Amino acid sequence: MLIVLVTGLAMGALYAAAALSYNVMYSTSKVLSVTTGHLFMVSGIVGAYLIGDLKWHWFFGLLGAVATSTVFGLITEFVAIRRVLARSDEHLWLLSTLALATIVQQGFGLWWGTEPRPFPRLIPQDFSDGAWDQRFWLPIGAVMLIVIALEFFYRRTLFGKIFMAVSEDPFAARARGVATDRIRALSFAIAGLLGGFVGFAAAQLTYAYFSLGLSLTLYGFIALAAGGMGSNMGALAGGVLLGLLTSIATYFFGGSYQQTIAVGLLMAFLLLKPEGLFGNRNSRIV
Amino acid sequence: MLPQKKLLRGLSAALALYALTTSAHAADTIKIGWLSSLTGALSSAAIAENQGVQFAIDQINKSGGINGRQIELLTRDTAGDPTKAVNLANQLIHSDKVAFIIGPVNSGESLATVPIVARSGTPNIVISTVDELTDPVKYPRAFRVISTNEQWIKNANDYVTKTLKKSKIAIIGDNTGYGVATAKKAAALLEAQGIKPVYSVVVDANKTSLTDEVTKAREAGADVIMPWTAATGLLARILNARGDMQWNVPVVGHPAIMGTPIKALLNMPSYWDNTYSVGYASTTYDNSGKLPEATQKLMDEIRPKLDGKIDFTFWWVAMGYDAVKVIEHAIGTAGSTDPQAIQAALEKTQNLKGVYSPYYSYGPKSRNGFPDSGIAINRANTFKDGSFDRAPQ
Repeated sequence: MLIVLVTGLAMGALYAAAALSYNVMYSTSKVLSVTTGHLFMVSGIVGAYLIGDLKWHWFFGLLGAVATSTVFGLITEFVAIRRVLARSDEHLWLLSTLALATIVQQGFGLWWGTEPRPFPRLIPQDFSDGAWDQRFWLPIGAVMLIVIALEFFYRRTLFGKIFMAVSEDPFAARARGVATDRIRALSFAIAGLLGGFVGFAAAQLTYAYFSLGLSLTLYGFIALAAGGMGSNMGALAGGVLLGLLTSIATYFFGGSYQQTIAVGLLMAFLLLKPEGLFGNRNSRIV
Repeated sequence: MLPQKKLLRGLSAALALYALTTSAHAADTIKIGWLSSLTGALSSAAIAENQGVQFAIDQINKSGGINGRQIELLTRDTAGDPTKAVNLANQLIHSDKVAFIIGPVNSGESLATVPIVARSGTPNIVISTVDELTDPVKYPRAFRVISTNEQWIKNANDYVTKTLKKSKIAIIGDNTGYGVATAKKAAALLEAQGIKPVYSVVVDANKTSLTDEVTKAREAGADVIMPWTAATGLLARILNARGDMQWNVPVVGHPAIMGTPIKALLNMPSYWDNTYSVGYASTTYDNSGKLPEATQKLMDEIRPKLDGKIDFTFWWVAMGYDAVKVIEHAIGTAGSTDPQAIQAALEKTQNLKGVYSPYYSYGPKSRNGFPDSGIAINRANTFKDGSFDRAPQ
C-alpha cells in the first residue's frame, strides 16, 4: 500500500506543478494555455536527449532542458497569445494554444519517435528500493522547491509584486507605468522554467514520451479547478488530492475508472464548489 | 478559317487526345488504396508494412503486372485517426475508384472503416487482428491476412497451460478498447478450459508504476503474468516491477513485449529474461538458427532497400508483402477487377503460399485465411533481423 500512496503522491506533485504553471500564466493573461503539459514533455525529452544521447553531465542536461522549456513558454506567449489577445476579446487563445500544442507534440513525435524512451538515472541508486526510489521523490522534492520559490517570488521581490498588481488590475498597473505585455511574456517564461524543472525531475517516472503533454494539460486543469484558480496553495492541494485519489481508486477498483474518477472530481467541483478549495468566490458587481 | 479558330481547334484536338490517352492509361492500371498510419503514435507497424507493400508492388509491376496491367498504389496516411481513415477510405472508393483497399493498420481505425468499405462493395484486405472485423455476411468482401486476436490469445493460453503447465494466471490489460476486450477474452477462454485467473485487472496505459498491481498478482498466488496491451511503456513497467521485486515468474503475452523499444526502458537487461510472446513461425529461427526459406528469400531481397539493417519486427514487412500477393492472386484468378468475381475467387482460395503465413485458405463462410500452424511462441529478448528464437518447448 505504501507504494500506492507514494506513486499517487508523485503523480499528484506532477499535477500540482502543471496547476502551478497554469496559475503563473493565468495571473497575468487570464489565459489557460493548452501548452501547459507540453512544457513538461519538452523538458523530459530534451533532458533525455542531452544526458542519454549526447552524454552531457546531468546538471548541464537540466540547464539545457529548462532553458528549452523556458524558450517554449516565451514562444507560446509570442505566437499564440499576444496577437490573439490584442485582436479579440473572445476565447480564441484556446484554439491558438491548442494548435501550437499539437504542432509541438507532432514535431517531437517525428524527431524523438512515438514510443516512450528511458530517462537516465540522476542519482546512483539500486532499483530494488521500492517506494524510496528517486523516480518518486525527485518530482515531489522539485515541486516543494518550486512552491517555496514561488512564495518567495510573489511576496519578497519587486517583480513578484508587479505580477500581483497586473493580476489584480492590469489597467491600473498599466496606468502606473507597468509594461503589462512584458510581464505577461515573463510569466510564460517562468511557467516554462517551472514546468521544465519538474518535467525533468519527473521524467524517470513518466519516461521521455511525446504524448505526455495533453494528459498533463488535462490533469493539471482538474487539479487547478479542484484547488481553486489563482491559488498556489490550492494548486498544490488539488494536485495531491487528484494524484492520491486516482491512485487509491485504481488500486481498489481497477484502471477502467481512473479517468472517470478524475473527470468526476472536476464535475463535482464545478457544480458544487466552483471556486475550488482555496479559490476566491467571484461575485459580479451589479 | 481565322487563325484564333484554328488555334482553338488544334488545342481542343490536343486536349481530347490527351484525355483519351490518360483515361486509357488509367483504365489500364489497377488502383489499390493503402490506408496506412505512417505518422502518429501508432506508426511503427505501418512503416514496416509499407516496405512490404511497396516491394511487392514494384516486384509485380517489373514482372509485367497482373494480367498485363500495372498496379498503381494510392497510399493515404491516416495518422492512426479513425475519422481520417474513414474520410480517406471514402475518397479512395468514390473519387479514386480503387479496385482494392488494404488496411487500415490499427484496430480502432479498422473498426470504423471496414463497414464503410464493405457498404461500397469494394474488396478489402484486413490487416488488424480484432475478431469482429471479418464476417462473411456483414462484410462479404473483407478478407483477413493477419492472424486474429483470438488466435494470439489461444496460442498464448495453450503455451502457459500446456507447455509451461501453469494454472495460476494473472491477466493485466490496459484501459483502451483493445486492452479491455482482450483481457476479458483471455479470461473467458481460460475459464472455458476450466482455469479461472487468480488475478485480473485493467490499468491505465500510461500508469507510471505497476509495482502495486504486480504485488497484488503475487499475493493472489499467481505463477505467471499474461499482459494484454500494446503499450510499450506499460509492458516495460510490468517487467520492471517484476524485476525490482525479484519475482521470477514467466511473462507471456502480446507481441509488443518483444519490440526493441522495450529493451531501453528496462531497469536491467536481465528483466527481459523468462518473457515470451505470441509470434510467427515465419519469423522464428529453427534449432540451427535458420529462418524459413521464403522469409530468408524476402529478407535478402528487401535488405538493400532498408540500408542493410532490419531493426523492426520483420513479420510486419512479410504481412504487407503477402497482402499485395493475395490481391495479385485474387485479380489474376478472377481475370478482372469485378468485385463479385474477386469475392468468388478468394472464396475458392485454398493453400495459397505466403511468406508471413505458410498458406492462406478462405471459403464461402471463412474470411480469416491465416492458419494456427503459422503461429509460434517466441522468446522475447532474442531479436535478430526482425526475428526471434522459439520459446522453450
